Amino acid sequence: MKRILIVDDSFYMRTMLKNMLSDAGYEIVGEAPNGQTALELAKETKPDLITLDVILPDNTGLEVLKGIRAEQPDQKVVIVSAVGQEVIVNEALENGAKSYIVKPFSEEKVLEVVSQVLAEEPKQ
Amino acid sequence: MKSREQEYKEIFIAEALEYFDGLNRHISTLEKEPDNDETLAEIFRLLHNLKANSKAIGYLQISDVSHKLETAFSLIRNKELNFSDEVVKVLFDGIDLLGELIHNVDNPNYGEPDPVLLRNLDIIVENLSDSTIELTKVQKYNTSKNLALSDLIYIQIRKLDHMMNLVGELMIDRDRVLSISRELNHDELKSVSSHLYRITEDLQYSVMDARLVNIGSLFNKFPRIVRDVASAEGKDVNLVLTGQDIQIDRNILQIMADSLLHLVRNAITHGLEKPEERLAKSKGSTGHLKLTAQSDRENVLIRLEDDGRGIDLRQVKRSAIEKQLISAEAAKSMADNEVLSLLFEPGFSTAKEVTEYSGRGVGLDVVKNAIDSIGGRINVHTEKGIGTTFTLQLPSSIAVKGALLFEVGNIYFAIPLIHTDQVVALDKDELHEVGGVLIADLKGETVTVVYLSELLNTPEAEMDLGDKSRLNGQVQNIIIVSYNNRKLGLIVDKLYRQQDIVVKPLSKPLDQIDIYGGVTLLGTGKVCLVLDVPAITRYFIQKKQG
Repeated sequence: MKRILIVDDSFYMRTMLKNMLSDAGYEIVGEAPNGQTALELAKETKPDLITLDVILPDNTGLEVLKGIRAEQPDQKVVIVSAVGQEVIVNEALENGAKSYIVKPFSEEKVLEVVSQVLAEEPKQ
Repeated sequence: MKSREQEYKEIFIAEALEYFDGLNRHISTLEKEPDNDETLAEIFRLLHNLKANSKAIGYLQISDVSHKLETAFSLIRNKELNFSDEVVKVLFDGIDLLGELIHNVDNPNYGEPDPVLLRNLDIIVENLSDSTIELTKVQKYNTSKNLALSDLIYIQIRKLDHMMNLVGELMIDRDRVLSISRELNHDELKSVSSHLYRITEDLQYSVMDARLVNIGSLFNKFPRIVRDVASAEGKDVNLVLTGQDIQIDRNILQIMADSLLHLVRNAITHGLEKPEERLAKSKGSTGHLKLTAQSDRENVLIRLEDDGRGIDLRQVKRSAIEKQLISAEAAKSMADNEVLSLLFEPGFSTAKEVTEYSGRGVGLDVVKNAIDSIGGRINVHTEKGIGTTFTLQLPSSIAVKGALLFEVGNIYFAIPLIHTDQVVALDKDELHEVGGVLIADLKGETVTVVYLSELLNTPEAEMDLGDKSRLNGQVQNIIIVSYNNRKLGLIVDKLYRQQDIVVKPLSKPLDQIDIYGGVTLLGTGKVCLVLDVPAITRYFIQKKQG
């Protein structure tokens, strides 16, 4: 079973993502409401994939992404953002994020992106 | 599916209100320190989340207003808009509007947001040049808005309790006046009192109606609880709720809340099997739990069904013998429903292990006591391997009860209808003396029958509950009452009628006699004792054994 860490400051968003992903058979290894917890949980749980919200109360998602990738260069991260944050999304993709999901998202879209990214071979 | 949507909605609202409070706090800070970037970033984050969440759940007005406010704050951050007095007012108004929209997501009567306010937000967001002139309109709008009061008021439940008590007193006097007018045969008095009768009845229903709440207010807490208990127990559980819009007296629902919680936890912990066990029985790994409410005349039925392992009746018997609740001898001849009634005996619990959620040393007797205290009934039906169903029959109101009036030894009595199954007239020859009690055969079902006059009026030393010769007359009127899966027939001298009664507690020292649930006054001015069916059942068993 593939293991996923959810990073989002909104409980509502986390609940939706958690339900969608666990219904589809993924294991949710943790939920982080802020950047600090995200960094700790990423290190501790070493998930197969992290969904990362770009606006967090302490750090920006971009800082968190860089922090995670510095420790775990192969860590797969999918950005979750809203419309109008294309600049940040592009920057995140340049910094190693694998793909992105735009809020409000549909269950199909989330599962499609997640399964695609999980199917990718890690870089040699 | 409905339960998850409901859960999303509750989470959305709770979180949105949190954001709303946060926004109010931060914008007040920002007003004092317009250059506080941290506060501005926090406002952004909150508005951003509110926008995304409301868009996801489909509250487009909220996402639209959040979006406009977000844009306004980004203009402020980029110094394209001054955080001037006029602008501040519009932003405060906008945040207030968000609060209003969040509070009204469930209100079908909530119309559209004020167009003036929306226009003001648009002016700030899009039209920078002469904003100040246009924005003065806002204050006018504001003043009038603040004078409009909500159509809803909150009222303390004790005030409604007091009103209900007064209505009860009024009903008693009303019946008395009606009765006197008939005795005097005074036409004008009769006409006034029948008008009084109707008005009081309307008043009674209005007050009862004001106390009603949707059962959903309790049911909707269960998806989360079920999720937590199920995950702690390592079980897959699917909960289905129906009948959330059925209404019930708020106090009754409050009294039942803990009991229902207890039954739900029990069902998950003891009823439903673990996924492996279910698969081995080819039942499907997910256990099903169904919580249903429905109206049944004056009552409300709440049913909790699980498709788990069912209650093992042999295990119940063994456990009851171990705890010396029954003798091994008695256990052999017990009918299934009698065995099930053991579950509700104080100190009985079949749970072998104590778990975090269900093993609090509280048994089903506590559930039964809660139901007894409001004059309700509980039934359990179980099939081994198939599942268990608990049915709670609750009165929709506490103070006024439908009751059956009768007479025993020249004294008036009433029994709440919720405990009466049927009324039968049997010939004395159809009653049989068996083992020190009287037995009747009702359509193939054996029911113990007790002569109330003997039970209530004969001194203990001379009491004989199995002696047919003590009965008066040939035809016996019998009220079949039911309590804790047991039926009991009560022989009465005279049957009167069904009537709504207002039960008053007995005053000291009579309140110590627990076979009476209270007292009521009849229209004739006569006192009528209200029999407490659970207590009279216990009293009978005690007399039979002693």
